[in-house]
Amino acid sequence: MNDQRLRDDLIAVMGAGVATPLPDAGFDDLARRVSEHQWQTNPVFARFCAARGVQPGSWSSWRALPPVPARAFRERGLVSRGPCEAIFRTSGTTGGGTVRGEHRVPDLSLYHASLLPNFEAHLLPDGARLPMVSLIPPPREVPDSSLSHMIGVVQDELAPDTGYFVGGDGRMDEAGLRSAFRDAEDAGDPVLVVGTAFAFVHLLDSLAADGIGFRLPAGSRVMETGGFKGRSRPVPREELYEAIHGRLGIPPRRIVNEYGMTELLSQFYEPVLTEGTRLHRPPPWVRTRVLDPATLEALPPGREGLLCHFDLANAGSVCCLLTEDLGVEPPEAEGNGFRVLGRNPGAEPRGCSLAMDDLMTAVRGPAR
Amino acid sequence: MRTFPAWWLPPGLPGDGPSLDASLSVDGRAPTSTVSVGDSLRLRFPTPDPAFARRVCDRLAEAGACLRERRTDALVASLGRAGARFLDPADPLRKAALDLLPAAAGLSPAMAREVLNGMARDWTADRLTRLVRAQFADPGVLDGFRPGPGGSRVRAFGRRLIVQLGAGNVAGVSVGGMARALLARSPVLLKPGLHDAVLPVLYARALADCDPELSAAVAVLYWPGGAAAVEAEVLARAGLVVVYGGGDTVEAVRANLPATTPLVAYAHRVGVALVGREALAGGRAERTALDAARAAATFDQRGCVSPHLFWVEEGGEITPAGWAARLAAAMAEVERDLPAGPSPPEVASQLQQLRGTWELKQAAGDGASVFRPPGLEWTVVYDRDPAFSPSCLGRFVWVKPVPDLEQVAGLLAGLRPFLQTAALCGAGGRAPSLVEQLGGVGVSRVTSLRRMPWPPAWWHHDGDDPLRGLVRWVDWEVE
Repeated sequence: MNDQRLRDDLIAVMGAGVATPLPDAGFDDLARRVSEHQWQTNPVFARFCAARGVQPGSWSSWRALPPVPARAFRERGLVSRGPCEAIFRTSGTTGGGTVRGEHRVPDLSLYHASLLPNFEAHLLPDGARLPMVSLIPPPREVPDSSLSHMIGVVQDELAPDTGYFVGGDGRMDEAGLRSAFRDAEDAGDPVLVVGTAFAFVHLLDSLAADGIGFRLPAGSRVMETGGFKGRSRPVPREELYEAIHGRLGIPPRRIVNEYGMTELLSQFYEPVLTEGTRLHRPPPWVRTRVLDPATLEALPPGREGLLCHFDLANAGSVCCLLTEDLGVEPPEAEGNGFRVLGRNPGAEPRGCSLAMDDLMTAVRGPAR
Repeated sequence: MRTFPAWWLPPGLPGDGPSLDASLSVDGRAPTSTVSVGDSLRLRFPTPDPAFARRVCDRLAEAGACLRERRTDALVASLGRAGARFLDPADPLRKAALDLLPAAAGLSPAMAREVLNGMARDWTADRLTRLVRAQFADPGVLDGFRPGPGGSRVRAFGRRLIVQLGAGNVAGVSVGGMARALLARSPVLLKPGLHDAVLPVLYARALADCDPELSAAVAVLYWPGGAAAVEAEVLARAGLVVVYGGGDTVEAVRANLPATTPLVAYAHRVGVALVGREALAGGRAERTALDAARAAATFDQRGCVSPHLFWVEEGGEITPAGWAARLAAAMAEVERDLPAGPSPPEVASQLQQLRGTWELKQAAGDGASVFRPPGLEWTVVYDRDPAFSPSCLGRFVWVKPVPDLEQVAGLLAGLRPFLQTAALCGAGGRAPSLVEQLGGVGVSRVTSLRRMPWPPAWWHHDGDDPLRGLVRWVDWEVE
């Protein structure tokens, strides 16, 4: 990022950790500076905002900035331009089509600065340094996966003793995994297991098929992320957590869900280990709103709508992201957390016209 | 919130007859459940167990036996009399339909009226007569054995039971299917789509008023997805199954059907439109745009006949981009006459994603234009790339330029299993060759923009025979 001072200020906010609140005035000031930087570097975004009356000199609040739909990441040159240090690609599940979204990240230092304190606060709040068992492929094998990149950074900074048991081709080293779990059991050393929901389903199915189970030592914990779409049979979350408990011996109160997306450089975790709460909490440098799908007006707590995140770590692309995820802010969260209710809320397809995504999937073949 | 008792059962079963008592229970065990559709209407359904479903099927099969004795003209007269009630402004059933449809189908009241008028037109005796004549050179084969080829005799028999599984919420589609089943001398068990449950029940009431024998051969029964035992019971008793739905639904039904039971499947499909130079000349552009806007707005674009995109030919009096602006103006005009219903959240979400993305593309200066009101009522996107793009529905249409309409067939290649209606206008003398091409790539209906939403009762829906496809032929070979 050219604007060195802005970057330093952002990194300082993130470095202060997730427990240091960022009042709205401070957030808004950074949001304005980031937006001005984005308008300078991305004239497309500048014109997009100007068409809605938001432009240099007319800043009112970060809330007035028009959200950019996640789908725009599928089109080249809209959300970020110029040189970049990394290109992360979506799995293709967003929107169901097979056109993969692309997040060009000009400056990885913001990604790293955002992900580390957030991960540490929610997975290692006790200061533990644990061996990490990863069901997420190593970053060198899937350099365009933002999730793998994140796990690589966690390995470098927080978990040097990391083993990867899923390859870039998605294949799971089941023998290696079982041996790693057995070693942990024998040594009595707790472990941190990280993986996608569908990788856990695969693992648990294979353990169940062979009638094998482990009692991983107390202090072990799990980070579970992502959906199931097209990768394994869908399993309700409670059922998955009970199965993890049954086969690995890690109870649900030590299983943390991470909600993240390629389009955002910050993540959302459930503060399960610290507060026992199952809702997703944005770090101080992210503001999440629930928007009315029809008007995009912010909805009050308790109302279901589309999740829209304003993530300052996205300074290199666009900060205000309109997702396709339905969510709600529980009134008891008092503005500091939300629940993800899933995608495609309509239970029944309406009408006899073919749904767009089904059609594109049919035409181009299933998502990778 | 109101509750509508959304079922119809033949006489002799608990819960039969024309009661509109919402508290009715079946077998005194109160096995009914309710489902909310929209904010203001609840549908109440009996909750059938497999034994109850079997009784319904058996009772229908018994009632259906008398259909073989009925003559086609008498059937047409009764069905037509029942259907015509939905066009009579003074009729209480039409009033009930107009009252319930907006909430049941998620349409504005004006669009609900438009849909009812368009659908019920095909339920009249005149249209049903034309359907029979279009399908059978000698309609007498429905009434008895008639001379066939080589000195043989042939007769079209009904099925023991037609099971019709409805989909989605293009209101009225199910009623047409019921009428065709009865014309084909088959009793019919309809499982309605949640958003098309009201009209079949009202239609059964109309039949009961004018021809109780017919209404006894009809059941409307809903069971929730996943009620596998009920569905298996019903499918095992079907003589023929008609299913409307997405690929997964059709596949699931096919997999659960006995090998000997024929299946008529109407999977989800898309419509497209071709606008040629001649339709852009001499002041025709506005008229064309208005017809196009009505075609997209009807059923709030949820029909398989609804257009997803308009290919507009270059080199005419106005450019494709200029026509897109006219289409936008026409969409606004149609919105005043036939307002859009509320967007379901998943459609609203996709509209926001598409609109925002294409407004960014417009800002990028790559030739895209987005036309839309502040609300979600309609959206027109002009895109220079002529490649096929599907709409997310909710009155969202693409306008794309093509140098020549001859190229459209090539752009449709690969979409064969999903194509249905193509509207063609302004092609002049090129129409015959274009229709040949479109038929060749999988389009099963070519029509005008004005007629696009309203195929006639006798259309070959997805390329199939609407009435002949339901009957069972019996050949009598005479020495």
